[in-house]
Amino acid sequence: MRKQRWLGASAALVTLTLVLAACSSGASPSASAAGSSESAPASVPVTAHSDLKIGVVTDVGTANDKNFNEYTYVGTKQGAAAIGAAEPPVTVPKDSSEFASSIQAYVDDGYDIIVTAGFSLGVATTQAAHDNPDVWFIGVDQGPPCVNAEGLPDTTFACAGDAATLLPHFVALSYQEDQAGYLAGMAAASASKSGTIGAILGISLCGPCIRYTQGFKLGAESINPDIKLVVNWVTESDFVKAFNDPVSGKSYGDQFLQQNPDVDVLFQVAGKTGNGVLDAACEAGIYGIGVDVDQSLSYPNAAKCTITSAMKSLALAVSTDIGKIVDGSMKGGDDHWDASRDGIAYGPFHDLASAFPANMADLLDAAFAKMKAGTLVTCPEKCGDLSTLK
Amino acid sequence: MTTERPPSQGRRLVALPATVWAAVALPFISIVLALLVGSIVILASEVIVPGHPFDVTLPVTAYAALFEGAFGGLDPIVNTIRAATPLVLAGLAVGLAFKAGLFNIGAQGQFLLGALGSVTVGVALNQASPFIAIPAALLAGMLAGAAWGFIPGFLKAISGAHEVVTTIMLNYVAVSVIAWAVSGPLDQPGSPSPITAQVGNAALPVIIGRNGHLGVLVALAAVLAVGWLLFRTTRGFEIRTVGANPDAARYAGMQPRLIVVLTMSLAGVLAGLAGATVVLGVTHYMMASFGTTVGFDSIAVALLGRSSPVGIVFAAILFGAMRAGAPLMQIQTGSLIPAELVDVLQATILLFLAAHEVIRHILKLRGVKAGLETTDTIARTYGRESV
Repeated sequence: MRKQRWLGASAALVTLTLVLAACSSGASPSASAAGSSESAPASVPVTAHSDLKIGVVTDVGTANDKNFNEYTYVGTKQGAAAIGAAEPPVTVPKDSSEFASSIQAYVDDGYDIIVTAGFSLGVATTQAAHDNPDVWFIGVDQGPPCVNAEGLPDTTFACAGDAATLLPHFVALSYQEDQAGYLAGMAAASASKSGTIGAILGISLCGPCIRYTQGFKLGAESINPDIKLVVNWVTESDFVKAFNDPVSGKSYGDQFLQQNPDVDVLFQVAGKTGNGVLDAACEAGIYGIGVDVDQSLSYPNAAKCTITSAMKSLALAVSTDIGKIVDGSMKGGDDHWDASRDGIAYGPFHDLASAFPANMADLLDAAFAKMKAGTLVTCPEKCGDLSTLK
Repeated sequence: MTTERPPSQGRRLVALPATVWAAVALPFISIVLALLVGSIVILASEVIVPGHPFDVTLPVTAYAALFEGAFGGLDPIVNTIRAATPLVLAGLAVGLAFKAGLFNIGAQGQFLLGALGSVTVGVALNQASPFIAIPAALLAGMLAGAAWGFIPGFLKAISGAHEVVTTIMLNYVAVSVIAWAVSGPLDQPGSPSPITAQVGNAALPVIIGRNGHLGVLVALAAVLAVGWLLFRTTRGFEIRTVGANPDAARYAGMQPRLIVVLTMSLAGVLAGLAGATVVLGVTHYMMASFGTTVGFDSIAVALLGRSSPVGIVFAAILFGAMRAGAPLMQIQTGSLIPAELVDVLQATILLFLAAHEVIRHILKLRGVKAGLETTDTIARTYGRESV
C-alpha cells in the first residue's frame, strides 16, 4: 500500500515536472550573458558625464538570443556608453500582458529613454509614449507608428493622427528588410548549384520576416530568373517557438531539407529559432544565410556554413538615435533605415568567399548603390503580404 | 512548529496542529527554502557570468527589489493584484478539479478560449453601453472556457479518456484556434501584425489606483462562489466525494460521470473568466500570439493553496507579487538577475511542497502527519479509472 502510494506520487511528480518544463520552454537560466559581452560593470559608473537613465524592454524570449533582442540591447549599450550614461538594464516580459507593466516599471523608476524591441510591443509603447510625454521612447521595428487624432494607439489602423507632432518623443524605427533580403537573395542564387533555394520564416504573422523573404525572392531572380524558392514557416501561432526555440528550428530545418533535398542554400528568418535552422543546414552540408545581424559572428556554431547574412543595423540605429536624443536633434515619428542611411547591409563572407563567383562582392555593392540611389525595386507591389510567397 | 507532537492517529475531523502544519507552516517553510535556493542560484550565476565584480549581497538586492516592485506603494500593490487576479481564477479552475480527483492541466487552453470569447464579444460591443458590453463579454469568456472544459470532461465520462492527456492536447488546439481567429476573422485590416480591435466600452473599469480593474472583484466573487459550492451544497459534497473515492460515491448513489462533466465545465468557466479579465482589464485587445503561462502557473497556485479557495488567494498573491516585482528586480540589479529567477523560485517552492516528507525529515518533525493533500489525491487517483 505504502509502496503503491509512492509509485503514484512519483508518477504525479513526473507529470508535474513535465508540465513545468513545458511552461518554461525557451527560458534561459542566464539571460544576463548578453550583458556581459561588453565589459562595463553593471553598477553605477563613477565617471558618468551623463546622468540619463536608459532601459530596454525586449520581446518575449531571452535577451541573449544572438539576434534581434540582443543586438537591440547592444545598440542601446553602445549608445549609452557613447554619451557616458550608466549601462542600461534590460527586462524581458513573460507574456504579452506584461508589455505595458514592464515599460511602466522603467517610467516609475525615473528612466529618460526606454527602448522596446519588436513590433509586438508597438501598441504598448505607443500608449506609454502618449501617457508619458516627457520620456523618450525608441520602438524597434515599430515604424511607421499608427495613432488616432488624440495620439493614442489606433488598432483600427486608420492612422488619422500625425505621430511625429502628437508624440514628439516617440521614435518608431523601421527597416527596409526587403533590401537586405534582396542582397541575400542575390548571394543565395549565386551560390546555389541546384537552382533551388529555401527560406524558413519563424512565423507567418511577422511583417518584417515576409519583407525579408520577398526581397530575397526578387534578388535571387535577378541573378537566375529560373531559380526555385521554397518558403516555409515554423509556426502560425506561437511566437516563442517562432523566434526563441533553436531546438524546434533544428528539427524543422532537418525535416524541411529532407522534404526538399534539392535546396542547397537556406535562408533563416526566424531569430534564435533560426540558429537551429542554420545548424540543420550545416549538418546537411549545404549553405546557410543568417538574418538581422552578422550571424557568422553572432552564432559561431554555424559559421562554417553561413556564407552571408541579411543584416539590418539594429545596433547602429539605436545608438545613433540615443546620441541624437542627447544632442537635441532627434524628432519623433517614423525613423526609417534603408540602404541610403546604411540601415541595411549584407554580411561579410568571412572564410566562405569561395562559395561565390569572384565578382560577388562587386555585384552586391552595385545593387546596394542602386538601392541607395532609389532605383532598384526590392519588394513586390503587395509588400509585406504573405500571399505573394505562397 | 518545533515542538514534537504525538502522531495523530488517522484523519480526524479537526486535527488542528496537523492542519495548521499543512496549511501554513509547510508552504511557509517551502517559500523560505526556495528563497535560499534562489540565493544560491544567484550567487552561482555571478560566478559563471564573467565580467562583473562578485557581489555577495546581490541576492538581498534582488529580493528587496522584487519586494519593492510588488508591495512598495500603491502602484506596485495594484500591479500585484492585477497579476494575481487571473491566477486566482485559473487557480480555482485547477483546484476545483483537484477536489473531484481531476488533474486539469487544461486551464491554459480554457484561459485562452475565454480570452478569445470575451475579446470577440467585447470588440463587437465596443460602442455599446458598458452595462451591456461588460457582462456580455464576461459571459462570453465564461461560456467559451466552459466549452473548452466540457470537452475533456465529456470525453472522460463517455470513454474514460484521461483528462491529463486530453487537456494537454486541447491546450495546443486553443493556441492554434486563437492564431487563426486573430489573424483571420478578428484581424484589423492594415495592421502590421495580427491584432484585434480594442474592446472599447467592454473594458473593465479601473477601481483602484492607476490601473486596478474590476476583475479583482470578479475573482473574489468566484472565490466565495467556489467555497460555497464545495462546502455548503450537496453538489459540492458530491464533487469532494467523487474525488476522494469514486467507488464509494457510486455506491452511495452519486453519478461520478455527471460530476466529472460538471466539474470540468465549471473549471472551464473559472479559467475562461481568468482569460476574460486579462483581455478586458489589462491588454484591451488580443494578439495572435498571446504567449501566456497563467494556465500553467495556476497549477502551482492550486497546489500551493492546497486547492482551498482561500489558500489559492494567498498563493496567487505570492505568485502575482513575484511577477509584478520581476521588472524592477531586473532593472535594479542591472539585469544581472533575469526574470527567469521567478520561475526558479516558483518551481522550487513547488518541489519542496511536493517533497514535504523531505522537509519533515530535515526539520525532524517526524511526528506530524498530513502533508500536501492535493498531491496525495493525485497520487491516489492518477491513471485510475474513476468513472
